[in-house]
This record gives sequence, C-alpha cells and structure tokens, in this order.
Amino acid sequence: MAEIVIENAVKKFGKFTAIDNVSLTVHEHEFLVLLGPSGCGKTTLLRAIAGLGMLDSGRIIIGGKDVTYLAPRERGISMVFQNYAIFPHMKVFDNIAFGLKMQKAPKAQIQERVENAAKLLHIETMLDRFPSQMSGGQRQRIAVARAIAVESGIVLMDEPLSNLDALLRLEMRAELKTLLKRLGVTTIYVTHDQIEAMSMGDRIAVMRNGKVLQLDQPTKVYDLPVDQFVGGFIGTPPMNFLHGHVHQNGAGYVVRLGDFSLTPPQDVHPALAQQRDKPVIIGIRAECMEPMKTASPDAVPVTIDVVEPLGAQNLLTARIGQDTIKVSTHPDFTVSAGETIWLRFPENKVRYMDADTGRALAAETEKALA
Amino acid sequence: MRRAKWTPYLLLVPSLFYLALFFLYPMTQAFGLAFSRETQTLSLRAEPVESAATTGALELQTEVVVLDRQQLDETLPNGGTRPSFWYLIQGTDLAGETVEGWASQRSIFIENRRTSETARVTGGEATREWTFEHVNRMLTDFRFSSAISTTLLLMVLIIPAQFVLAIIMALVLQSQVRGSSMFLYIYAIPLGISDLVAGILWFAIFTQRGFLNSLMVSAGLIDLPFIFIRAENISWMISIIVLAEIWRATSIVMIIVVSGLQAIPKDYLEAGEVFGASMWQRLRHIILPLLKPSLQVALILRTILAFQVFAVVIAITGGDILTVLSNETFRWYDPARFNNPSVAAVYAGFIMIVSLAISLFYMRAVRSQDEATKSAT
Amino acid sequence: MSAETFSNAPVSVAQAQAWDAQRRRARIQLRLRRAGVYVVAVALAVWILLPIWLIANMAFSTPQDVRAFPKSFFPNPISLESISFFLNAQGIIPSTGNSIFVAIVTVVLSTILAVPAGYAIARYVFRGRDAIRLVMLSVRAFPIVVLAVPLAVIFLQLGIFDQPFTLALMHTALTLPTTILVISSVFASVPFEFEEAAQVFGCTPLQAFFQVVLPLALPGIAASAILTFVLSWNEVFAAILLTLSNRTLPAHILYNLDKSSDPFKFASAFVMLVPSLIFIFFIRRYLFNMWGQINK
Ligand SMILES: Nc1ncnc2c1ncn2[C@@H]1O[C@H](COP(=O)(O)OP(=O)(O)OP(=O)(O)O)[C@@H](O)[C@H]1O
Ligand SMILES: [Mg+2]
Repeated sequence: MAEIVIENAVKKFGKFTAIDNVSLTVHEHEFLVLLGPSGCGKTTLLRAIAGLGMLDSGRIIIGGKDVTYLAPRERGISMVFQNYAIFPHMKVFDNIAFGLKMQKAPKAQIQERVENAAKLLHIETMLDRFPSQMSGGQRQRIAVARAIAVESGIVLMDEPLSNLDALLRLEMRAELKTLLKRLGVTTIYVTHDQIEAMSMGDRIAVMRNGKVLQLDQPTKVYDLPVDQFVGGFIGTPPMNFLHGHVHQNGAGYVVRLGDFSLTPPQDVHPALAQQRDKPVIIGIRAECMEPMKTASPDAVPVTIDVVEPLGAQNLLTARIGQDTIKVSTHPDFTVSAGETIWLRFPENKVRYMDADTGRALAAETEKALA
Repeated sequence: MRRAKWTPYLLLVPSLFYLALFFLYPMTQAFGLAFSRETQTLSLRAEPVESAATTGALELQTEVVVLDRQQLDETLPNGGTRPSFWYLIQGTDLAGETVEGWASQRSIFIENRRTSETARVTGGEATREWTFEHVNRMLTDFRFSSAISTTLLLMVLIIPAQFVLAIIMALVLQSQVRGSSMFLYIYAIPLGISDLVAGILWFAIFTQRGFLNSLMVSAGLIDLPFIFIRAENISWMISIIVLAEIWRATSIVMIIVVSGLQAIPKDYLEAGEVFGASMWQRLRHIILPLLKPSLQVALILRTILAFQVFAVVIAITGGDILTVLSNETFRWYDPARFNNPSVAAVYAGFIMIVSLAISLFYMRAVRSQDEATKSAT
Repeated sequence: MSAETFSNAPVSVAQAQAWDAQRRRARIQLRLRRAGVYVVAVALAVWILLPIWLIANMAFSTPQDVRAFPKSFFPNPISLESISFFLNAQGIIPSTGNSIFVAIVTVVLSTILAVPAGYAIARYVFRGRDAIRLVMLSVRAFPIVVLAVPLAVIFLQLGIFDQPFTLALMHTALTLPTTILVISSVFASVPFEFEEAAQVFGCTPLQAFFQVVLPLALPGIAASAILTFVLSWNEVFAAILLTLSNRTLPAHILYNLDKSSDPFKFASAFVMLVPSLIFIFFIRRYLFNMWGQINK
C-alpha cells in the first residue's frame, strides 16, 4: 500500500503560514501534481511529506502508517530534487545505488537494480562516470534512476524538469510519465508549469497561499475551475472574466452582459437567486466561444482590437463593454482589427462566479472540493 | 523536531567555551595585572591567638623590636606537644606609624626564639590593592611616546600604500591577463610569510653589505656602501620597515579586494562601459563605491594588525634604536630584561584600546559618510 | 535586421581606407593596453619574488659568499654549507621540532573544535547566530599581544609555563575564530540538498554528514588546516612570551637575532619560508574562501 494521506497539515515559518490546513489523499499508483504560483507552499508541502521539515500540526499517513514524526529514511519514500542533489564525489553507479546501500541490500541485488534503473533511463553506459562529466539532462536521469532504484513505491519530485531546456523538458515529460506509470509508483510532482501539470497529472491539486483550492482531474480543473484564481491560473490564454448582472426572469434567472442576456443552466439558478440584482463574473475559455461574422440574436457583438495569428489558431483580442476578451478561432476565420464579430456562448461552457469572492456558483464546486 | 533547536548550540559550545577561556579569562587577568598590586602584610593581634582582633599591619621585611614573648604548647596530631612561640612586636607600618601587637613565630624571622630582641617580618596575608602605579610607569617611560609615534607613523605610511597596491593587483588579476592564476599565487605568497622572515629578507637587501649596496657599488654609482641602518638614519629605517610591511601584508588586502571585485556583478561594469565610462571613471564611480564594504573590512583588519607590528622592526633595526608598542610590551615582560608583567599588561591594554577606538572611528566615519551621500540624493 | 544593411552599397575608396586605419588604430590600442597590463602584472610579480630569490640565493651560497661584498645575485657555487651550518647550530633542531609539534597540535585542536561549530553556523538558523559570527569576525584580529601577557602569567601560576603544549593551546585560541569562519564557509558551499537527499535515501543525520558532507568538505577543511598550520608556524610574539627554554623556531631565531651572523640569519629566513611557500601553493584555490567571505 502506497497511499499518502495528509490531514489538516499546518506549517508556519514564524508568523507566516506556509501550509494552511491542507488535507488531501494521494491514491496508490496515482500521479498527483501540486500546481500553484511561486511561493504558494508546494515545496514546503512536499518536504513535509518527505520529512524534511516537521509540520506544526496535522498528520501524514503513508501506507497506513502515521509518519508525521518519523525521519525521512523511516518513511519509505524516495525523491527527485530540484537541483538533482547528485553527489559529486560518487560515480553514477554509486549515486544510483546510494539508497540501496543505505538499506544494506545484498551486493547482487544492488547491481541488478541499479542496472535496471539505469537501463530504464538510458544511462546504463555512463555508470562509471562522475556526475561532473555529465550534462544537465543526464544528471536529471541519474536523479530519477536513484529515486526508482530503491523501489519504495513513492516518488516525490520538486520541479524536476525546471532546469532543463524547453525541448528536453518536453521529451522528459513524456518519458517520465510513461516510466512512472509503468512502474506503478505513487508520485507527487511539484510544478508551477500548468502545461506540465495538465499533461502529466492524473489529478492536479491547485494551491494558493498555502491552501489547496481544487483537487481534480486535469480536464475538470480546466473546464470547471472552482474559482476565478484557478480559471485564471490554468490555460493559455487564461479564462476570460466578464462583468455581468443577475436579473430575475419569470421563475428563472438571466445574466445580463450589457444588452445581451445569457441563460444559465438550471443547476446554477439556486445560487443565482442569492445574487439577484447583483454583479456576477462570467468565466469563459477563449476556445469555447463560437465566433461568427454575422449578427445573430443569441450572440454578442464585440469589436476586435488585435489579431494574433499563431499558426494553429488565431487569437483575437476584443472589447465587450468594459471588458477585454480573448477569443481563439480557426486560422481560416480571417478578420482584422476594428471589425465587429458576434460571439455565441455555449451554455455548458460558461462558469458563473461570485463577484466578491470569485467562487464558482455551481453545484459541482462543492463536489470538487470534497 | 525539538532536538534540532539544541543541536547548533551543542555544536558551538566547545568552541565558545574555549574562546571564553582563552579570551575573556586572560582579559580579566590582564586587567588585574595592570591596575593592581599585590602586597603581603602581617596583621598584628591583640592577644597571642590567631582569632584575636588586629591592632595593626606590617609590611613584609619590616624590622621589628620584640617586646614580649609567650610560649604555648601546640598539640601535634600524634597526641604529643611541642613549644610554639608568640611575640609582641613593635614596628613602623606603611603609613609611618608605630604599631604593636602579637605575631606568631611562623610570620617572623627571629635569630633565637628565646633571647633575640629584634626580628623581621617574613610572612603574612596577601592583599591586593588597586593602583595606577603601572599606568604611570608606562606613561612616564621615555620610550613610550616614541613607541606610539613610530607605531602610528608606520601605520599611516603603510596602510594607504598597501591599499593602492592591493587595488592595482586586484585589477590586474581581474583583467584576466594570461597566466592570471599564476600571478594570483605569486601575489598571495606573502600571505604565508611571517613578519620575522619578511624583516630578514629586507634586512638582507638594505644592510651595509646587502644587495642594494652591492648593486650600487658594482654599477659604480657609489664608491663605499651606504649605511642605511644606523641611529642617525631613522627615516631610512622607517622606510625599510614600511617597504617590508607593504611587501608582506598587501596580499591579505589584495585577497579581500579581489573577492570584493568578484562579487560585483559584471553587468555594472559593462553598463559603465556601454555608457562610455573610461577605465578610470569606472574605477572611480563604479568599482570603488561598490568595493567600499570590502575596503572597510580590510582597513579595520590592517589597522588592528598594524598595532601588532613586532618582528619586522626587530629584524631590521634590532628593536633598540627604533621601538614600537608591541616591542615595549615584550621588553617589559621579558624576564631577562624588565621582568614586569604588570607594565606589559598596561601596554597590552593600551594597544587594545587604541586599535578598538580606531576601528570604531572608521566604522563611524564610513557610516556618517554613507548617511551624507544618502541625504544628498 | 533587414538585408539592405549588408548589401554592397558603394563605399568610396577614401572612406574604406579611413575605416581601415581606424580599425588598425583601435587594434593597436587594444594590444598596447593588454601589454601595459601585462607589464604591470610582471612588475608586481618581480616585486614579490625578488626578495625571495635573493634570500634563496643567500641560503644556497657558501658562508664566505654570504659575507662577501659586493654580493653576487646568483649562488656561485651552489652550496648547502650555509643551510647545514644553520641546521647544526645549537637549538635549531629542537626548536624546529617544537614548532612542528605546536603547529600540529594547533591544527588538530582547532579543527576538532571548529568542524562542529562551523557546521552549526553554516547549517542552522538559530538565535544568536549573527552575534556569534560577529564575535568570530572581531576576535579574529584580536591583538595577540593583549592575550599573550596575561596568559603567560596564568600559565606561570599554573606551572604549565614554557611548554610547547600550552603554546599550542594559545595558538588554537588565536586561530579558532578564523578556522570556524573558514570551515563554515566550506560547509555552506556544500548544498544542503545533498544532505537532504542522503536522508531521504536512508541516512541518519550523522550518516549523511559522514557519507556526503564530509567527503565534499574535506579539501576545504584540509586547506583550512594548512592555513592554521602556517599561522602557528609563523607566530612569534606569543611564542616568545610563553616559552623560555622550549622556544619555537621563530621565537628562538628572533631572540638570538642580534647575536647571529648573516649566513645564519639568511639561512634561517629561507628555512622558515619554504613551508609557507609550499602550503600557500596547495591552498591557493581556497584563499578567497578563507578571506573573501569576511565581507558578508
Ligand atoms: N525556511 C523558510 N523560512 C521562512 N519562510 C519560508 C521558508 N521556506 C519557505 N518559506 C516561505 O513559505 C512560502 C512557501 O514556500 P515554498 O518554497 O513552499 O513555495 P513554492 O510553492 O515551492 O514556490 P516555488 O514555485 O517558487 O518553488 C514562501 O512564501 C516562502 O517565502
Ligand atoms: Mg518550490
């Protein structure tokens, strides 16, 4: 069993709270990504799991065992460090074998496991070298090999790819994911790169100011962000936020965007009832709108400011009342600045959010957080 | 982890304890040495018993008249007894007054216990009294002022030259000339050379039959060797010491300056270059201001060390014609010469106070200058 | 950049020549400046090396040549007579032995004390850390003179005066602050991540220190030990105060300087200089580590 449970974790540095009552469960064989802006406490949380810094309160349970007060070596974990922490005075072989040697594993087993790990990472020909003779990418591979060689079942990674160049990062991203999936290890992976998070994670925990805001599958986090921050943080371009107003319309509610009215789905109506005659934020992703060149009663007219042809798509920046909106269109949709186009908002792609708190007004919000 | 809170202190305790033992304790002892004098006096008793009230005190070696004596029997551990005498003696105490009282035979020297009429005080209790005697002794010593002025003169001559030379060395190294790592080693060599060796090296050059005279005579510049080192030639002797000290102790300044330079981001200098600053302007407006903290550290260090200049002076001048503070300390301490640790301790304290004061002065000066520039902008 | 910039726009011959001349001048100027810097570098090197050369020259000349006037700038013939004369002089071998003993005891003591202290300063954040660093920085330049006199008196009272071992205790006190600072900067240069990695992969903190940190810090610690050795080997003031019949080499030489002949003096200077030369060579990479970090 390699399940990790964190219960009400709190970590303070002096008066500053770096981890603010975080609870989460990482299932066995799961690849969980901790995502968030710089300084949100990802590293702190990961180190707490590793035992490199005690929690002030809360519990950490790994594989059913309460490890809150145990030393790192007693937790049955392994780790890939951001700067790799490859020991420069040891050959690659000894680096990979380090964990096994510490466990006093038999020589033959060490040999076998190190070779296996090295093969998996394609560094089996370099075992005799010193780390100083290796490139950044190769060192990264040593770090991963060292982490999987101990076969602890749990690997913690703190931005392991952040020191690599863009191309290598792309390559390693895919390789790491398949490798870790194949080995079936439980992985917690820290990154502030949302694309990395989206592409690698089984689930993503989005953090901010020491709290986990949303813990969900990548598509859920992308499509149904729990609040304005998550929507804005994930995706390029970020989610659009428009200022609307709630109006009662017979038994139901509509959200007015200037002269235009949006009809929210039924399940949001109870939440909207509380917001009657109040402002509300409308969130919509750039690629979720249908742009049209002709007027239509169910579409809003917008004026185009900028057109950025990006190859695979055209990114339009348009004005809608006070707000700016980014729209991504098919490259064949040729328009130029100054023109007016009409946008249709598919009902199920629109998120409504409280204008004060930024929290989504939806039933599944509660679900996502639970 | 609770334990982690104590770990650093635990690790530091041995060193801190050691330093306290070897810095603080000697300092208090030095204070005692410098400002007190130990005298042994014999307290006279009203009755011939130790516990009786005192009637006066006599200094060691005072001659006394024996007025009366009394024989007691002292009990020995084995149960037997032996005679023990107490004497009523009279003598003149430190204040010049005649005092009398009882003293045991153990505290006085008396020729014949039963018949002698006179005796001498040979025992008593040590008492410590505060005195400025040693300080006065230092202040009135005719070599004191010359030691100060020579030390200060050397400091004033040596330190600026060292800084200029060190900055030149650092800039040369920084400019990445070919073989700069070799040059760094060469410039750093004197770091490992003692002031005694440096003194002998420069003595070899300037002594009457030394290399400089050899060169000048062989080149036909002079006929007879010039005697640089002699009592009438104080300024030459000073110059040689200055040269030796510049030669020896510039390295440390150089190392501090180089590491200060390395800490200056290359961007600043490149920006200066892009905006058209000449080498000199860059030095004046970018490098030196950014180097100020390093220079300040080096300055304080060099100043404190300048007060400890010792073996160079002795190696070059013999230490008699020309003297410095540390040399005086040694002379007063030296059992073969003045054998007076107290005055030596006063000297030591003096050196410490002056070097501390100058360091503080530097720090103040640099800080107020900083504030001046800050308020100006 | 558009292609036009590089097209062969017609340039007049006169203009081309002017540009050429300008480029040549600039190149010459650059070369001159380099040569200038080089000349300064070499001049400074000569300034440092010349006195050392001269004393080596004296040490390897016969005593007759040392006394000769005018002196030769090269040993001719090369002779070990002066050095052997010096080494065979009374008291030299024992005082050299004392010097080595004192230096080694100082190195061992101060390293043993400084390694934990330096590690604590480098690795832990704790109350009073800055104060301790400041104390180390300031007592590092503490006048030897100030301590030597009272310590001599204390040692006399304790009956441990005139023993090389007590001199080593004193030297340890003098070098300890520097050693602690140097060793702490050595430890600080070993990334903490290494230690954490070691712990994650199964080390106790103590194992992590010995398996990972110490091997990486060892060269730096050795350099610091060498520096300590040189400091102790060179120290003369405390040595001359704290010893009487068991003098160290510099103390012995200094005390008898006025009675010494030139061959003796020069050979002694050379013998005292050689270890320093070698040691500084070995620790040259660490010099900045040792003195540079005091800026911080
Ligand atoms: N040892 C420490 N002492 C004091 N504050 C700390 C310490 N370590 C981290 N912090 C603070 O805790 C907060 C969270 O830090 P953490 O390193 O976990 O951020 P992060 O999410 O990993 O950021 P990044 O993406 O930049 O690595 C930050 O605001 C940081 O300043
Ligand atoms: Mg981080």
